Amino acid sequence: MGMLNELSEAVVEMQEQVAMEKTRQLLEQGADPQDVLEAFRKALEEVGNRYEKQTYFIPELILSGRMMSSALEMLKPHLRDESVQSGTKLGKILIATVAGDIHDIGKNMVTMLMDIHGFEVRDLGVDVSSEKIISEAKEFGADVIGLSGLLTLAFDPMKEVVVGLTAAGLKDKVKVIIGGGQMDEQIRSYVGADAFVTDAVAGINICKTWVS
Amino acid sequence: MIAGWENLSPGERQDVFLTKWASGEGIEFAGEDAKASYQYRAGLIADAIKLKKTPDRVPIVPLAIFAPVMLYGYSGKQAMYDPHILGKVCLDYTRDYDVDATVIAPMVMHGPPLEVLSYQLYRWPGHGVKEELSYQFVEKDYMKAEDYDHFIADPTDYWFRVWLPRTHGSLEALAQLPPLYGTMELPMAGPWMCSLGAPPIQEAYKALLEAGKLSFEWIQALIPYMGQIVSSGYPIYAGSATKAPFDVLGDSFRGTIELMMDLYRRPEKVLEAVNRLVPLMVNMGVGGAIANNNPLVFIPLHKGADGFMSNEQFEKFYWPTLKEVILGLARNGCVPCCFVEGSYNHRLEYLAEVPEGQCVFIFDRTDMVRAREVLGGKSCIGGGFPISLIITGTVQQVEDETKKLLDVAAGDGGYILSIGCAMDEAKEHTLKAFIETGKTYGRY
Repeated sequence: MGMLNELSEAVVEMQEQVAMEKTRQLLEQGADPQDVLEAFRKALEEVGNRYEKQTYFIPELILSGRMMSSALEMLKPHLRDESVQSGTKLGKILIATVAGDIHDIGKNMVTMLMDIHGFEVRDLGVDVSSEKIISEAKEFGADVIGLSGLLTLAFDPMKEVVVGLTAAGLKDKVKVIIGGGQMDEQIRSYVGADAFVTDAVAGINICKTWVS
Repeated sequence: MIAGWENLSPGERQDVFLTKWASGEGIEFAGEDAKASYQYRAGLIADAIKLKKTPDRVPIVPLAIFAPVMLYGYSGKQAMYDPHILGKVCLDYTRDYDVDATVIAPMVMHGPPLEVLSYQLYRWPGHGVKEELSYQFVEKDYMKAEDYDHFIADPTDYWFRVWLPRTHGSLEALAQLPPLYGTMELPMAGPWMCSLGAPPIQEAYKALLEAGKLSFEWIQALIPYMGQIVSSGYPIYAGSATKAPFDVLGDSFRGTIELMMDLYRRPEKVLEAVNRLVPLMVNMGVGGAIANNNPLVFIPLHKGADGFMSNEQFEKFYWPTLKEVILGLARNGCVPCCFVEGSYNHRLEYLAEVPEGQCVFIFDRTDMVRAREVLGGKSCIGGGFPISLIITGTVQQVEDETKKLLDVAAGDGGYILSIGCAMDEAKEHTLKAFIETGKTYGRY
C-alpha cells in the first residue's frame, strides 16, 4: 500500500522517472495491475483538481497523461480489461472535431481525461461530418456529444449536429457540449448546445453532473 | 542611414521610423486626397502607439487573413490559386470597409509552390482541407528531443538540413548535405560541392527553384494590387512579422505536447533554445520592416496564454525571451505589435514591464477593463471584441457591444479598435456596423 501511495505522489509531483521506476518495481513484486492503474487514476484526479484550482496547468495535464499511457503500456500484458477504470462507467461520451476542422490537441486531452474520470469514450477524430457524428451517437448510445472546433468556420458544422439531432428526435436524449478557443455564450446559443467550455477539465465536471 | 541614429533612444528611433511611415514618403499616391487620407489613417495609428492623449478618434484595424476572400464570395482555394482574385478582394475589402489599416494580402499564400515542395506544416483548401475553407496548421514534433543540441549550436544549419527535410517532402534529400563550413577553404570545399551534384539533392534544388519561380510570378501579380491599396490612401498592418521564441519551438519545432513535457524533462535545453532564437527573431522582424518601409512588426502570441502554463513557468520559459525580442525590435526603431491570443488576465503585469509607448498589445479574450487598468498609459492596447458577435450577432448587438468596449478600453488614447481574432470569415452587415460605430462613437 505504501508503494502505491508513493507512486501516486510521484505522478502528482511530476516526478516521471520515479513514477515509472515505482511502476516497474510494483509489477516485479507481483502487485495487482488494477491497483497500479487505480494509483495512477487517483493521481490524475488530483492533477485535475489542481488544474481547477489553477495551481496546475497544461504541462502538468499532458505529462501526467503521458505517464499514465506509458504505465498502461507496461501494464497491458497483465491486464484483463484495458480501460483505466474497470467496472461501471459513469456514462458514454462521443467526441469529435467537427467537419472542416483538423485541430485535435485539446480534443485528445479531453478524451484522455474523460476516460480517466470513468466515462466510456468514443473519439471519432477530426473533420467528422455531422451525419457521421449523429449516426455514431445513435449506435454508441451516447449520453453526451462533445464537439471540438478551433476555427470560427466550425460554428455552422456544430449547429448542423444539433439541428440533425433534433430532426432525428434525439435532442432530448443526448446533451451537447462544445469546446474550443473561440467558444462563448453567444456561440453556445447560436449552435443550440447545452454548454460550452474553453478548457478540458471544466467540461468533465459539466458532463459528470449530466450523467449523475 | 539617419544621422545621429546611434545616439537615439529606442523610443526616439521608433518615432523616426513611425513618422517616416505615417508621412507616406516614397509612395506614389493616386492624388492629394489619397495622400491626406493615408497620412490621417497612419497618423491615428502612430498617435495610438505613442499614447497621444485625446487624438481625433480610435484607429480601426480589424485583423483578418481569409475574411476578405469569404466576404466577396470566393473560396479559400480560389484565393490561394489565383493572385488576381486575392489582390482584388483585398483591394475591394479595404475600400468598401474603409478600414484604417488593412490586411497583409501575401499572408494568404499561394498553393502551387506548396504543392511543389510537398509542404507538410499546414493543410490548405484543396489540399487536405475543403476548398471553401482556410489553411490549418498541422502540429507535430518535427524536432525530436535529441535534436536540441544541434538546434542550439547552429539553428540555421539545423533548420536547413534537418527541419526543412522533415516539413517539406520534396526537400527530404537536403538531410544528406554536409554543413556549409568546408566552403571556407578550397581543399575542404569538395564534400559540399560534390553533394550538390548528387541526383536526389539536385531534385530537391529543382523543387526549390520551381517553387521560387511560381512564388516570384505570384508576388509580381499581387504587388500591383497592394500598390493600389496603399496609393489610394490605406496603410498596411503590418510591415513584417516575427514570433516569440517559445512559440517558435512550441508551434513549428517540438509541438505543444512535447514542449510542455520538456519543461519538466529538459528545462535547461528549452532555455538554451529560446535564448538562441532571440537575435534571429529580432533580425527577422527588423529585416522585413526595413524592406517594406513599415515599422509595425506583427507578433502572434500562442503558448503563453492563461491556462497554458503557470506564472512561474511563464516567467521562466516564455516571457524573458519575448521581452528581449520586443526590446530588440524597439532598439531598431520597429514597433512590436503583439496579437495576444487566448487570455492574458494573469499575465498583464508582465506586459506592463515594457517601456512606455514602445509596444502594441491587441487582445483576444483578455478582460479589457483590466487591460486598460494595467496597461493604460504604458502600452497601446487594442482588440477585445468577440468574433462570435461578428459572425452570429445582430447589427444592434454589435453596435451596443462596440460602444461598451470603447467605454472601458479606449481611455484617453493609446487604443486600437480591433476584433479578438485574425478573421477567416466575417459578415458584411455586422463588420460594417463595427467599423462605423468605431468611427462615430470612437471620437475623443
